[in-house]
Order: sequence, then C-alpha cells, then structure tokens
Amino acid sequence: MRRRRSVVGGRHAIVQLLIVGLLAGGALAQKAPEKLRDSVAACLACHDDKQLSVQLRDGATMSLHVDPQGFLHSVHGSQLVCTDCHARYEENHPSGATFPSRRAYAIASYETCKKCHFDTYTRTLESVHYELLKNGLDSAPICTDCHGAHNIQNPHEKRAMVSRSCASCHDGVYLRYAKSVHGKALEEGGNQDVPACADCHTHHQIQAPGTTQFRLGSPQICIRCHGDRQLMAKYGISATVAQTYLSDFHGVTASLAGGGALLPQQVVVTCIDCHGVHDIASPRLMGGEAMKASVAATCAKCHEGASPAFPAAWLSHYEPSLRHAPLVFFVQLFYKVFIPFVVIGLVLQVLLHLYRVSLGR
Amino acid sequence: MRGADVSEYVVRFSVWARVQHAAVIALFALLLLTGMPQKWPYVEASRWIIEHLGGIFVVRWLHRAAGVAFSVLLVVHVAVAIGGVLSRRTRPSMLLSVRDFRDAVDFLRYCLGWAEAPPRFGRFDYRQKFEYWGLVFGGFVMALTGFILYFPIAVSRVLPAELIPAAKVMHSYEALLAFLIILVWHLFAVLLSPEAFPIDTSIFTGKIRKERLRHEHALEYEELVGRE
Repeated sequence: MRRRRSVVGGRHAIVQLLIVGLLAGGALAQKAPEKLRDSVAACLACHDDKQLSVQLRDGATMSLHVDPQGFLHSVHGSQLVCTDCHARYEENHPSGATFPSRRAYAIASYETCKKCHFDTYTRTLESVHYELLKNGLDSAPICTDCHGAHNIQNPHEKRAMVSRSCASCHDGVYLRYAKSVHGKALEEGGNQDVPACADCHTHHQIQAPGTTQFRLGSPQICIRCHGDRQLMAKYGISATVAQTYLSDFHGVTASLAGGGALLPQQVVVTCIDCHGVHDIASPRLMGGEAMKASVAATCAKCHEGASPAFPAAWLSHYEPSLRHAPLVFFVQLFYKVFIPFVVIGLVLQVLLHLYRVSLGR
Repeated sequence: MRGADVSEYVVRFSVWARVQHAAVIALFALLLLTGMPQKWPYVEASRWIIEHLGGIFVVRWLHRAAGVAFSVLLVVHVAVAIGGVLSRRTRPSMLLSVRDFRDAVDFLRYCLGWAEAPPRFGRFDYRQKFEYWGLVFGGFVMALTGFILYFPIAVSRVLPAELIPAAKVMHSYEALLAFLIILVWHLFAVLLSPEAFPIDTSIFTGKIRKERLRHEHALEYEELVGRE
C-alpha cells in the first residue's frame, strides 16, 4: 500500500513538474510577444491611423498608416519590433523630417534588410536589377518591391506571390508565362513542382537573360527538372530529353560553344529556341498533326528551305529503337556487331602471324 | 660506284601513288583529329583538342574542308585508276580474285603450322588488296554520309529525312572502324611486322629492295627478272 502510494506520489511529482515547466515555458513564450506588443503598440498608437501622413518635397503625400493585423501576421510579426528596422525613429520622433519622394524614401530605407539578410543582400548587388538602380533607374526593384514591407510573407510557401511581384514590372512576360504549361499549373493548380520566375532566373542574383552566356547556360536550367527521373515520372514525361539533346548536334554545339561571344553565323540552338521561353506549351497536348506542323515551322526558323519532311531528320528526343527511327537503329546495330567482328579477326591474325614468326621459319 | 646499290632496288610506286599516300596520311590524320572529338564531345581530351584548335566552329570547318579534299582525292584516284586501266597504261593489279581468298586461307594455315611455306604473292598481297578496297569503299561511305550531313536540307527534299541521323551514325561508326583497321592492321603491317620492322619505306621513297620483293611478292619478282 505504501509502496503504491509512493508510486502515485511520484506520478504527481512528474505531472506537477510538467505543469510548472509548461507554465514557465508558456510564460517565456508569451513574454516576447507581450514585450513586442508593448513596443509595437506604442508606435501603433499613432500609426494605426489611416489619416496619418507626411507631405513629401515633390508635393505627394505619403501615408504613414501601418495595418496592425498585416504586420502581426507577417513573417516578422512575432520576431521584430518597429524600431528594429526603423532605428532612426527611436529618439526625437516625429522629427518633422521629410523626403524628396516616396521612391526616394523606399530606396533610402531598404538597406535596413541587410542587417539580418546580409548574404541575400550581397547577392542582389550582382544582379541586373542593382545594376540598373546603380545607373540611376529609381524604378529598379529593391527588397520591399518584391517582398513587401510590413506584410512580408514566407516566399518559399507563397511561390505564386513572388512570381506575381515580378509581374508588377514584367507584366507582358508574366501574362505569357501564366498561359504556359508551367504557369497554368502554378496559377490554377498551385503546383509546387513547376518553375516560377525565380526558379529559372534565380532569386536575388538575377542576370540579364539576353546575353549569350545566359542562353548557352539555359539548358542547365531546364535539365535541373527535366533530367530528374523521379520528378518526370510523376508527370509521365521522358527524362531522357536532356541526354538526347546533349548527344545531338545542337546540344554538342551548345556545350562546346561556351565562353566567348558568338559570331552571327555561329548558330547555337538551346531548349528555348524550339520550346519557347515563357510561353512553353506541352507538346503532348497539341495533338500529333499540330505538333508535326509546329516542329516543321520551328526547324524552318533556322534551316532555311526546310521541307515539312525535314523534322524526321531529328529523332524527337528519342533514342533510336525499332519503333522510333528503325533505320538508325539497324545501322547502329550493324556496326556494333561488325566492328568487333572485324577488329577481333584482324587482331587474331596479327597474333597468329607473330606466333608463326616466333616458331622460326 | 653506286651502280651495285642502285641495282638492288626496283621502282615500286609512281610519284602519283606516293603523293596520294602522303595526302591520305595528312587528310586522314586531320579528319581523325577534328572528327573523333566530335564523336566523343564530353571526353575531357576531346574538349582540350577542340579548344586548342580554335573552338567547335573552327573544328567543324576544318573537318568539312578536309572531307571535301578527301572526297576530291577519292574521285580523282578512281578516275585515274579506271583511265589508266582502260588506256592499258596500268595493270589492274589491285583487282580482287578468288586467288586472294585462297591466299588468305593459306596464310592462316601457314601461321597455324599446317603448311610449310606461306603463299606466294603477286604485286599486291591479299592483305594489301583488302585494305585498299576497304579504304576505297569506306572512303565512299564516309564521303557520301559526310555530304548528307553537310547538306541535310537538300537531302531531305529528295530522300527520306531519316537518312540524315542514319548517316550520322554510319559516319561515326565507319570512321571508328577505319581508324581501328589502320591501327591494328596497316600500322602493324608496315611498322611492327617482322618483315617491315622498323618501317617499310617503299611508299615514301618509291623503291623496294629486290631481295624484299623476291621474298614478299615472289610472283611479281619472277615476272620482272624471269625465273631463276
């Protein structure tokens, strides 16, 4: 009996310990937001006012309103307080200072992100966007243009959102993308496998896509997904497209042409030249006849005078087999048998000859 | 003074034959050097060669130029050979006959020790003839498939376009076959074989020692000097 009680007592002790621990932990966990709330609330006492604004030197009015819910539900809501970013307002605020324009304020403020996101910020310094900004194009995007300011969401969870932020400048490109096989799957089905803008163009170190270097490197972008056997199997797409391209005349040229600039007559064909860039369509959804016509038209873009029969010169990303390109398959098979037959025969004769010589005449 | 030495030699190859052989060496080497890296473009050595020859566009240009030159040489060679035979200025000593196949079997029997002596050969032995016809036939295969690859659009207008990738495979494998035959058969015969070691110079100098002729081309020798 006593023994049993002691066991019960032991249980009580554990439960008590757990409860105390939970309470303490809860208190700790709640402590941060409480403090945060205090500090943020102090700011919001004034800034949760839709009328609050400042007159800028270019005559425009900049709203100083911050939506409390937007901030609290942002990725920073439970971690940062206003002055973490707006450090200069910790003292002497409001100071009555103003800015030349809304854009000038944004550009002057966005570098505060690098206090925490230093590596990301440095990558942006090598991007085409920063290049434009440096050269005086104020509308070139800065952190807040894509991520927002007070209502920042986790970009890994909201991929479509990031792409739409590209659309705010590149709207024509985005419309074409949204109609493509990739864009439709992302926009309509929320597919997380298809590439959004940043998957091909990278996030922060975005390079100018018009350069030869970018073009020659572009197959590597496609191959990342289209060479992934598991991923392609999920959609019933062949994962040999990359390999067949790279062993083909066009792929060999692209892989060897790298480095220097190309002369106009030095034609290099990469994935995008046949499949398009932002408007990539699924060849399977086109139907046999439409696809044949489309391929013929695509070949004729470079191969002047190519007849509708010309595309048969290309194996359509297939390995030669009895079904696809049987003639090529048989030529290959013939040599795979004939070459060893001849060469082994000749080597044998040479060896026999030497054997006879070694016997003496 | 040199009379005795000179009389030891007989003329075996005309200037035209020697020039052709030298041209084939140069063109074959250039075609291999510019072609093999294209056959295996992802091998590190291939990429090194292509880079040091000035890039893939230069390499392809060189390959096509050498290919055109080789094709011209091939056509001229066949025309001169046929012309020579028709005008009875040369004898068709390269033509294959049943005898050559019998010689091949007899030579193998000799190697195996089933025959006491090797077969006696004429102006060209069966190995030289087989190699010659291999070069001519293979040369035409290479030239034909090469031109199909050079002018794919024109070819696809008159012939099925699937011939183009088939020609590519054929061009690539036929080249490998030619290279291997030259390597194990020709280079053995003219460099390493006990009869030729260290090198058979007759195709470069045009001359062959009478003693060698008597030994390796007994029938031709007898025709030349009469039976002894």
